[in-house]
Amino acid sequence: MVYFINDIITGALIGLLYSLVAMGFVVIYRASKVFNFAQGELVIIGGFIVWFTTLQMGLSLWLSIPLSLVLAGLVGYAIERIFLTKLIGESAFSMVMVTIGLLILLRGVVLLLFGPAVRPFPIIFPLKPLFLGDMLIPMNLLIGGIITIVAAVGLSWFFNRTRSGLRMTAVAEDHVVASSMGISVKSSIAFAWILGAILSTIGAMIFLSGKSLTFLASDIGFAALPVALFAGLESIGGLILAGVIIGIAQSLTTNYLDPMIGGSLGSVVPYIIMLAILLIRPTGLFGWRSIERV
Amino acid sequence: MTWKTKFGLRGLMAAGAMAVATAMPLKAQAETTYNLAMLSDFSGPYADIMPILAESREIIFDWWNKTRGRELGVTLNYKNYETRYDAAQVASLWPGIKSELNPIAVVGLGGPDVAALSERLPEDKVPMFMSTAAYGYAWQPDAWIFNPRPTYSHESLGFLNWMREQRGGDEPIKVAVLASEASPAYVDMAKGIELYAKEHPEEIDVVEIIYTEVQPTDLTAQMRRVARAGAEALIIQTNTSIVVAAKRGLQANGANIPIMMSSHNGLPASGAALGGLAQLEGDYEAYGMAVAADEDSPARQFYETLVADYGLKAPWNVVTAMGISQGLYIAVVIEHAIEEYGADALTGEKVREALFARPITTEETHGFLPTLTFTPEAPFPLKGLKVNVGTVRNGKIAIEATGVDVPDVSKW
Repeated sequence: MVYFINDIITGALIGLLYSLVAMGFVVIYRASKVFNFAQGELVIIGGFIVWFTTLQMGLSLWLSIPLSLVLAGLVGYAIERIFLTKLIGESAFSMVMVTIGLLILLRGVVLLLFGPAVRPFPIIFPLKPLFLGDMLIPMNLLIGGIITIVAAVGLSWFFNRTRSGLRMTAVAEDHVVASSMGISVKSSIAFAWILGAILSTIGAMIFLSGKSLTFLASDIGFAALPVALFAGLESIGGLILAGVIIGIAQSLTTNYLDPMIGGSLGSVVPYIIMLAILLIRPTGLFGWRSIERV
Repeated sequence: MTWKTKFGLRGLMAAGAMAVATAMPLKAQAETTYNLAMLSDFSGPYADIMPILAESREIIFDWWNKTRGRELGVTLNYKNYETRYDAAQVASLWPGIKSELNPIAVVGLGGPDVAALSERLPEDKVPMFMSTAAYGYAWQPDAWIFNPRPTYSHESLGFLNWMREQRGGDEPIKVAVLASEASPAYVDMAKGIELYAKEHPEEIDVVEIIYTEVQPTDLTAQMRRVARAGAEALIIQTNTSIVVAAKRGLQANGANIPIMMSSHNGLPASGAALGGLAQLEGDYEAYGMAVAADEDSPARQFYETLVADYGLKAPWNVVTAMGISQGLYIAVVIEHAIEEYGADALTGEKVREALFARPITTEETHGFLPTLTFTPEAPFPLKGLKVNVGTVRNGKIAIEATGVDVPDVSKW
């Protein structure tokens, strides 16, 4: 029974990590209506920035972490300025296609700048897990879970209660209308990309702390995809519930069903849940249902 | 123009023509060129080891061309094709490779090459030679794809039997396997061990097979489970990221279970990803080729020759050993084929026949590989299989055991 509870807790924490990465999807989507397929690549870019400032430049974590977040924000800003700003007013489909191109480009840039070698990632969070009696909780996931919840609460408040956040939501509704209302579409989208890149970098720190860094780490972007779609692409708070549900389902499947069937059903379960919920509720659990009058 | 000038010009032309005529047969003999297609992954999951592997196998053909090739009047030309370790990419590239190069052999890299070309190569009559261990799913008679090493399961079972002997006692050795469904090859590695353990419960007890992602989020809970189940060894033949995650999981639990790695994710690569070889003190790598340790050996001496005389820059490690051994056994097979059928009309089919005609001795591969006796029954040698075991001792790679017997394993 203890193991069962432990597996549920670990699963929930892994799910919260997925939620944090998925938050990058949602922030960009809420501000620009663009589904960023290169979110996993932003995680890698963030990871390499942390690796570079910590292990290459030799800065202490207290210096390298804030510096990395600033640099990641600059990367997000640069991506928006170079690739997306000229597409303002164009269809969302064009922008989505650009993000697919971005996915391939960023992988290439990582290979070009840092080479293909597998590198040690700095130990950001203590390796020693937290022991609660017979239960064991990985420290990186525990701290990551807390960060995710704080980030979700903060961003929900920002998007729903502040003028800037509501402006960004208006931009997502229609670029032209928002522009005619005096809202700076460029600034809103740029801010969303900066935020998306920073969230991805925090995700990289939690995911890779003490492990290894390669471009394979971008796969977490695809692991977070079902969480974003399950929650609904506009809901930041909903990501927490969706992440926890998917994480627990995946953990229990991996630990109890996979040994029985001798397969990796655990990696498929998030997508099964996602497809099931999309069949019942196409906008996801907490996505906005829009009515179009024609 | 004076008669002297005319005579001089004519004489010069005649001398030139004679020189060309005399040189032509020699030139033709010296330039019988055969092509090899090299499948590479410079931008996929094995991009980290590819530059070293590529240089190591290419330099063998350069060395061969300048030594044995010159004597035999044959030049082996090679060209790399980027596959991204993707079966679909390999399949789409193959028709172009065939028409461009008309290769007599393919220098393969890994599972996706096998998956993509296993049906095509018999039709096109081109053999492919790998550097890796073999795969259970490709264990078929009349193969056109060959491995100098048995399956990964053979190699890990050889290691486990050796470890049980070292430990002593009659109890089976308890082992956990980390695999991934990201690649059929990774699943295959676990299936062979599982079957052998079922058939030989007195030798091996598989406490758990853990399937995980290629970049696992966390393996702490899984490592606690296997530690509590009393696992005496962890077999990880997938990639370095899984080794790192497992090691961190073991460290978090305060558990010290030795990990056995393979060649492509061996001690140097995994050590580098962990921040230093010292982290892998007491862990192992085991495979059917020479261990790239500091100790002097024929393989090491040959490597030093390549460095000194042919400009090899790759460091002395397991990946370099893989590339060199792959190049060597391919060159030897081609050499056997030339001796058997002549240098003029070599084909892929004749190269394959030469592979079965006589063994490739360990002397011919400078000790990089054991003596290989291929038969049409399997894509790898079935008899006389041996593995070597390397470990980390005092922060350095050392040879722990050589010529360890590999047990007979049923097909799965």
